[in-house]
Amino acid sequence: MIEIKNLTKQYGSITAVNNISFTANKNEILGFLGPNGAGKSTTMNMIVGYLPPTSGEILIDGMSMNDNPREVKKKIGYLPELPPLYLDMKVIEYLRFVAGIKEVPKSEREHQVARALSRLKITDMKKRVIKNLSKGYRQRVGFAQALIGDPQVLILDEPTVGLDPNQTMEVRNLINMLRKDHTIIFSSHILQEVSAVCDRIVIIDKGQIKAIDTKDKLTGASSEIVYVIKVEGVCADAEKALRCIDGIKNIMEINFLDEKTSEFKVELEDEEVRKAIVAKMTEEDFAIAEIRRISSSLEDVFASFTRGKSYSGLASSETDEDSK
Amino acid sequence: MFSLFKKEVQSYFYSPLAYVISALFLLIYSLSFIQWITSLTKLNLQFSFAAIFYDQFFYFIFLIPMLTMKTFAEERRSNTEVLLMSTPLNVFKIVMGKFLAIGVVFALIMTLTFVYPVITEIYGAVKWGGLACGYLGFFLWGMGCVAVGMLVSSFTENQIIAAIFGEAAMLILWFMDKFNDIEWMKNKPVWSSLIAALSPRERFEGFATGVFRLSDLVFYILFISVFLCWTMISVEKRRWSRG
Repeated sequence: MIEIKNLTKQYGSITAVNNISFTANKNEILGFLGPNGAGKSTTMNMIVGYLPPTSGEILIDGMSMNDNPREVKKKIGYLPELPPLYLDMKVIEYLRFVAGIKEVPKSEREHQVARALSRLKITDMKKRVIKNLSKGYRQRVGFAQALIGDPQVLILDEPTVGLDPNQTMEVRNLINMLRKDHTIIFSSHILQEVSAVCDRIVIIDKGQIKAIDTKDKLTGASSEIVYVIKVEGVCADAEKALRCIDGIKNIMEINFLDEKTSEFKVELEDEEVRKAIVAKMTEEDFAIAEIRRISSSLEDVFASFTRGKSYSGLASSETDEDSK
Repeated sequence: MFSLFKKEVQSYFYSPLAYVISALFLLIYSLSFIQWITSLTKLNLQFSFAAIFYDQFFYFIFLIPMLTMKTFAEERRSNTEVLLMSTPLNVFKIVMGKFLAIGVVFALIMTLTFVYPVITEIYGAVKWGGLACGYLGFFLWGMGCVAVGMLVSSFTENQIIAAIFGEAAMLILWFMDKFNDIEWMKNKPVWSSLIAALSPRERFEGFATGVFRLSDLVFYILFISVFLCWTMISVEKRRWSRG
């Protein structure tokens, strides 16, 4: 449905997007994940035809933006990072205007506007002037705008920023509802959101694609064996005891829960070491409250791709020290 | 394009802008009118709307940047440019939609002044032919200034800057032919004839005094087209060099 081939965007000497290629299949939700300034918004602006790419090609439904901008643009609904609203207009006037400029046939306009209003649950707000609405409602009006014209492709640049948790859930449900008959590219900082909603995830950093895959494959990709062990006893002593065990490659994180319990995140050489740990700790009179294997979370994967550090816990503490 | 045009016309009436500009314009027009009426004597019972138009334009030209300052500057600032550019509208339609919308607002303001010839007709007689010619000239030059104002607005995202530079451009247009009076220009015949040919004020004098020349009409239409095309190029160029 969406094919991006060798897309590059340069602003003068700065390369914002560097030779990226990916495809989004029909009725698929593609998550766009990356830190600030990674080139997410630039890429999205190029897909919708706002920014012309320096080089590369964008095909929507087999059609190129260069050859037939008018038809291609009709297939796309776009919600930019800042919703593009005319603050002096009423919600309903604004949506009618958008229906007009998107060349929706006159007979369908009212129906489409009413449907967009009800999908975003803003029918009550339709007579309000946009500048009097709160940020969450403005965001929803912006989202409603993207749905007008019944586009097959939706490009959503951080659609849940500024919404309260209930509204965020509603937007996620809406995206889930739309997935039946829309191809959606969705960018976000929020990892849970991306992992909850998206079929596939594109991790992008410094204008380059670091990984494209399904969530399961991305998180399963690392072969490390990581265990979380909850130990009852003095924390410092428990750590000393753990350090004496041979098979532990690395103690990645120590969480001090309360005076008596602490939690260790450790990387092991192989499964067998677990038994050695249990034996050793029991011998040293520590009670093990819990021991479980964890797969690396999307956060870890994200951090490893975008910062080159293996785990978010460690990586963030190191950056703290750097800043001191 | 009609949707954009309609929205643009409405946008002037959502805010007090159009009302304030038309009120100000009518005030100045009324004062001019009163001044002419009160200066009538038994020996001279004539006055000319052409003269009023001519006076008027000098004031009106400074109101035009107020109408045009927001055209592109505001779209860019409020990020709605993205919306326009990602819909099937192309730059030509965007520029023309906005230009025609300002044309309608401008024509509305002009229509309001029509009350004075009507009053004059009730108590005396009006030469309607000359008056129509004056209105046409006023409208054409006004739209030329609108095209210049839109171009200035497309350069910036700050409305105030667009207004200030718009005013400067209007001043240059108004006083352009005065440069020819400078001693230094006297021995540069090529330059002075070029300036004289390009000066829109000279052309307006014809219309204001009731003389309709095809060449003047063509001049204004070309003037408007050149600045509208430049505006389209400027808007398009911003997209390519934005960063």
